[in-house]
Amino acid sequence: MIKHKNYTTPALTLVAILFATFSYTAVADSLSDSLIFEQGGFRLSQKTQEGGTVKDRLTQDGIQKVCSKLGAASVDSNTAASVTSMARESIKKPAGGIKLGDWKKGEAVARSGYGFRVGHKTDDHSKREAGGNCYACHQLDPNEIAFGTLGPSLTGYGKLRGTGEPILNYAYEVIYNPHVYFPCTHMPRFGHNNVLTGQQISDVMAYLFDSASPVNQ
Amino acid sequence: MFNRTLLVLPVVLAFAATASADPSMAPEEVLQSLIDKVDSKYLTQSSQNIMMMPDNPAYWVAEEGEELFMEKRGPKNASLEGCDFGKGPGVLEGAYTEMPRYFADTGKVMDLESRLVHCMMTLQGFSKKDAAIKKRHGSGSDMMKLQTYIGSLSNGYAWNPPMDHPMETAMRDAGKELFYRRAGTLDFSCNTCHGDTGKRIRASVLPNINVPEEWTKAISWPAFRVGHDNVRSSQHRVRGCYWQMRQGRIEATSDASIALISYWTDAARGQPAILPDMKR
Ligand code: HEC
Ligand code: HEC
Repeated sequence: MIKHKNYTTPALTLVAILFATFSYTAVADSLSDSLIFEQGGFRLSQKTQEGGTVKDRLTQDGIQKVCSKLGAASVDSNTAASVTSMARESIKKPAGGIKLGDWKKGEAVARSGYGFRVGHKTDDHSKREAGGNCYACHQLDPNEIAFGTLGPSLTGYGKLRGTGEPILNYAYEVIYNPHVYFPCTHMPRFGHNNVLTGQQISDVMAYLFDSASPVNQ
Repeated sequence: MFNRTLLVLPVVLAFAATASADPSMAPEEVLQSLIDKVDSKYLTQSSQNIMMMPDNPAYWVAEEGEELFMEKRGPKNASLEGCDFGKGPGVLEGAYTEMPRYFADTGKVMDLESRLVHCMMTLQGFSKKDAAIKKRHGSGSDMMKLQTYIGSLSNGYAWNPPMDHPMETAMRDAGKELFYRRAGTLDFSCNTCHGDTGKRIRASVLPNINVPEEWTKAISWPAFRVGHDNVRSSQHRVRGCYWQMRQGRIEATSDASIALISYWTDAARGQPAILPDMKR
């Protein structure tokens, strides 16, 4: 809770007022962080599906911090360089190399927006696996009309690009951590953030690349 | 009886700055004035909703809200006519479009919901545990009836949240940081979805915070949400956003929620409010 003292001196500087009224301390490096972590903004102790708490969810990692600072501005070259290198370090490749899984399972991953929601209702991963919700942002199967446009169309992805090692490697990395190629992108880091399992990533890649997949018809 | 003729009262236009701000217009006429001004897929995406606006179920909710507002209730047997929403006790016309604002009696920046709770506790003597205050959501709740009534009396007024007090600007600025703050398993911020024009999530066209003519509709709550079959509040929208972003439960009327609402209201400054609105 904000401890509000009645201040009657309009001449107080903004900084003094912030300290007097919001009592936000050096622990939080901004008022917004203080409102989240120190002033009762969120139910921080609520458990999350991955075994942590809402407090962990709201705590930013390096890429989140740096990209948030941009606000509405597009990424500058210094930020891009540091984000790209953080992203590069995060990439983990599957032990047996990148393989395409089952495109039918991949389709389910692409369609499902279930998972990781916490709050007044909480997703139960023991009842239903989390998805990747690719359709929220991308066109994939040309016959699906309910597709989002935050990302580029991926229709015909494998048909246009083939299935050579470099393109499979690239797509894997984009799904694992897209900031390697698109620093401060709006696309989630499905591998790095453990949203999708290794198996789900290879299934959704099959949906993109398999010649039998509806994406490539 | 509350009905739209109330809104046609000859109210002096407080803000001549925006030609389209006109409290005598019906909500659907306000929306049409915006559609005439900007080319927006967001504003025009549901012609069905636009057609239904004259029969918006929210009008019934507002009508019940008016009765509740005037009724002597609570342990102190008082009406809410003594409640000051920023323009003096009982003055409701155009009050909501000038919120959130700083209130000297609490020393806090408050939004409509937190101010209403404050008045129900101090004037009427309700406690936080009483259903009148505890139940925040649904067309049948006192809270939504009252908010819809009070909100409706700002229809057509230009959003104009005051930025005179340092706490008002501090909260707005903190809200801006929250808007761009990426976190959680999907790395989302509000800006992921509301920073561009004409983009879609699945089939929904998203409003852009940088286009005030679009953004005024986005923040015009209370609105009847057709998909929910209920009138919804700003606080309900904020809760839903954080849930969708996988960032946990924001506390209703916390300073974090009010900061975000300060920023989103400031972003619609000068544009007329559509109250009550109808949304997907
Ligand atoms: C919230 C939005 C969002 C979601 C959800 C999303 N993406 Fe993306 N994706 C993007 C954006 C935006 C880009 C373009 C990169 C950029 O410019 O920032 C992109 C780019 C890509 C690319 C590279 C395209 C190219 O031209 O090479 C691939 C492949 C891709 N996404 C696959 C996926 C898959 C698979 C999923 C689901 C598991 C997914 N995306 C979910 C937003 C999203
Ligand atoms: C991943 C995408 C996404 C993110 C992130 C997101 N929103 Fe939204 N927002 C939507 C969609 C889609 C709608 C349309 C209504 C719906 O389907 O819920 C919407 C609706 C809204 C509306 C009401 C407009 C309408 O017509 O219903 C407001 C206001 C809003 N969001 C604000 C925010 C704020 C503030 C945040 C961050 C705290 C946020 N959104 C984060 C996708 C998003």
